[in-house]
Amino acid sequence: MQQPDPLSTTFAALADPTRRAILARLARGEASVKDLSEPFDMSQPAISKHLRVLERAGLIEQSRQAQWRPRRLRAGPLRDIADWVDQYRRHWEESFERLDDYLRELQDIQEQGKGADDDRDQNRPG
Amino acid sequence: MTATRIDRGSNEKTTIYSDGGDLTFERTFDAPREQVWKAFTDPNLVPRWWGPHGTTTTVVEMDVRPGGSWRYVSRGPDREEVTFYGEYLKVDPPKGFEWTFMFDVEGVGPMGGPETFTFEEVDGKTKVTSVGRMGSVEALEGALASGMVKGAVETWDRLEALLAKG
Repeated sequence: MQQPDPLSTTFAALADPTRRAILARLARGEASVKDLSEPFDMSQPAISKHLRVLERAGLIEQSRQAQWRPRRLRAGPLRDIADWVDQYRRHWEESFERLDDYLRELQDIQEQGKGADDDRDQNRPG
Repeated sequence: MTATRIDRGSNEKTTIYSDGGDLTFERTFDAPREQVWKAFTDPNLVPRWWGPHGTTTTVVEMDVRPGGSWRYVSRGPDREEVTFYGEYLKVDPPKGFEWTFMFDVEGVGPMGGPETFTFEEVDGKTKVTSVGRMGSVEALEGALASGMVKGAVETWDRLEALLAKG
């Protein structure tokens, strides 16, 4: 791999508050560099630099329709990250729920004094 | 803990928070510590609880010692397969262990990092704490910021509200 993985690029792009604010603005609809630089008290070149980072991360793109080449949001990379975090969270939240059920089942079996099908190195008084 | 601890959607049973670049899950189970240890380290027991509801898991490899590899293949109700894998870094029965936790995300590639599990016995119950190191604070913040917009990426108004908080 010659380039960092796509998710790292997306993370790096999202780590900056100005860039998150730019994405928030673009979430309302496409906008020109001039529009985007207004609320930030930043020069247009400074904003352009942030836009390039966002563009490299695939988070925004330039519309080729209009003369002023407005920027607009792209959903793909955000969805990738959202999916990853979602899968991770869901994995542990639900695994812990199932583990809880399983351990309860074991306790019940032990309390009834029957032996579970697995090991028994804990001799809990019934 | 420290002031940087931020709740990440805890529910009544599980506490979930981030602290720096770490994402922590805490839950107390009504079982002795030895049993919890076994549930995590016995290849016959892992399939009974691993993965979201409706998941069937096969333990392909599980060598519970430092440097040992592990690999589980899970099949969800949608029949989609996810492989989890990594390497044990520290093993301290029954107090806990550390491993690398990786899984492949479609279109992205392998994601994950080191994860530490601590098992503490409290009044016959066991408190399990898992800490996943997601990398830098920025990486985790970025991930969570967008993780919370799940389902909202098409709804730009909601995305806007969320990003504006950043």
